[in-house]
Amino acid sequence: MPTPFITPEILFEARRHFLKLGAGALVGSTAISRLLAAMPEEIQLVYAKDPNLSKLTPNPFEHVSNYVNFYEFSTDKTAPVKMAQAMKLKPWSLGFFGEIAREEMVEVDDLIAKFGLEERIYRFRCVEGWSMVVPWIGFPLYKLLDYLQPNAKAKYVKFTTRHEPDIFPDQARGLFASIKHPYVEGLRMDEARHPLTFLAVGMYGKPLPKQNGAPIRLVVPWKYGFKSIKSLDLIECVEEQPLNTWQAMAPEEYGFYANVNPTVDHPRWSQAKERLLGKLTKQETLMFNGYEKEVSHLYAGMDLRKQY
Amino acid sequence: MKTLIVFFALLPLGYAYYSLENAIDPIKMLYTTTGVGTITLLLLSLVPSPCQRICALNLLRFRKTLGLLAFVYALLHVSVFIVLDSELDFTTLFEKSLKKPFIYVGAISFLILLSMAFSSTKKRFARFSRYHKAVYVALILALLHSFWAQKVAGAFEYGMIAIGIVLLGERVWNKCRFTMSKRH
Repeated sequence: MPTPFITPEILFEARRHFLKLGAGALVGSTAISRLLAAMPEEIQLVYAKDPNLSKLTPNPFEHVSNYVNFYEFSTDKTAPVKMAQAMKLKPWSLGFFGEIAREEMVEVDDLIAKFGLEERIYRFRCVEGWSMVVPWIGFPLYKLLDYLQPNAKAKYVKFTTRHEPDIFPDQARGLFASIKHPYVEGLRMDEARHPLTFLAVGMYGKPLPKQNGAPIRLVVPWKYGFKSIKSLDLIECVEEQPLNTWQAMAPEEYGFYANVNPTVDHPRWSQAKERLLGKLTKQETLMFNGYEKEVSHLYAGMDLRKQY
Repeated sequence: MKTLIVFFALLPLGYAYYSLENAIDPIKMLYTTTGVGTITLLLLSLVPSPCQRICALNLLRFRKTLGLLAFVYALLHVSVFIVLDSELDFTTLFEKSLKKPFIYVGAISFLILLSMAFSSTKKRFARFSRYHKAVYVALILALLHSFWAQKVAGAFEYGMIAIGIVLLGERVWNKCRFTMSKRH
């Protein structure tokens, strides 16, 4: 039976957010709320700086913000830049479910308030053979997991991109969609709890541009970029290994682990070298994308040719 | 007219050269420009003959120009592969890259275009013209190569394949009709 008198959750959240803005509530026009939706780009985030001990040089912001794989919009790398601008980022609550002590929905802003922000300058290597260096802003995933308190059955963490065809046109294409929607990724619990594993809400000191997976995305620097799922909707702790989207699409080409590994080629192309964005020359790809010291123990005894 | 075709066909190369400095992924950009150029010109070179059959418009004299332009683009495409992508590391190139279907399918397509370009002078063409039907194989392999080049094929790849199917299908259909009518 329909219940017309209950405010839909989204509107409720929107109103709550709006009321928070005190002065804005007095005006109450859609123009203002639109203005507010556009605001995050201007905000400068407050965060602890990365000491950048490995002396990485970040790519220019223009590279990172104009060259994205965001198939929910388009398979083209620049088209999402324009297409994503209509996205409404507030309210945006993240759902936490599964084998955890506290199942709930939390607003991204509340997560930021709870866990604080820090900068992480990471290498980012795409399975297609290009790479970049990005100064992300966010918080490590283990902080969130500590808060959610996964139980003994929680062996994996499953991530899901928001499914909202009004925002993401490719999700409305049904059979003609470029990939299966919604996009799903997964990590083993020890990978998820690794201090390098990061939830980013910003980059270059500012909130994430919409085309880069706003308002919140995963960043796993030692894995190919497709593991770093964008515009998160759900984070679930689960017992079974999740079937990630690219593995479901082409299991002989993309596995669950997707660790950057110059010695294991993609069936169609070599992974030994990479094209750093902006460069006409190539560079060697590093084992685990240069994070071998930090993460190799996670895969001790595993055959990385089989568990690709 | 032929000069005009050459001029327009080479424009994208000029643009690619101009935008190289600011390209985000320069090697990929050069691959795309030269690859898309090759396939577009290959498809265009297959237009004159059905055009003559269907609209009685004789454009056959442009076939060679279009074909040679396709070869120029393919040559540049292969140069990007050897010089920029493989960085002249021939050991890796022969031992690893060429073993991948994605690469050797493209390489075979290029070899076909190379031999066609080589036998395109008036004298040689008289002798080898019947082998020039191999362009159909070159096109199919080039389309397959472009399909495999993407993580997943998009509208462009499917569009090119559709045009290829129409152009090749017309020939098959025409040939069937011809043999059928001969039998009666």
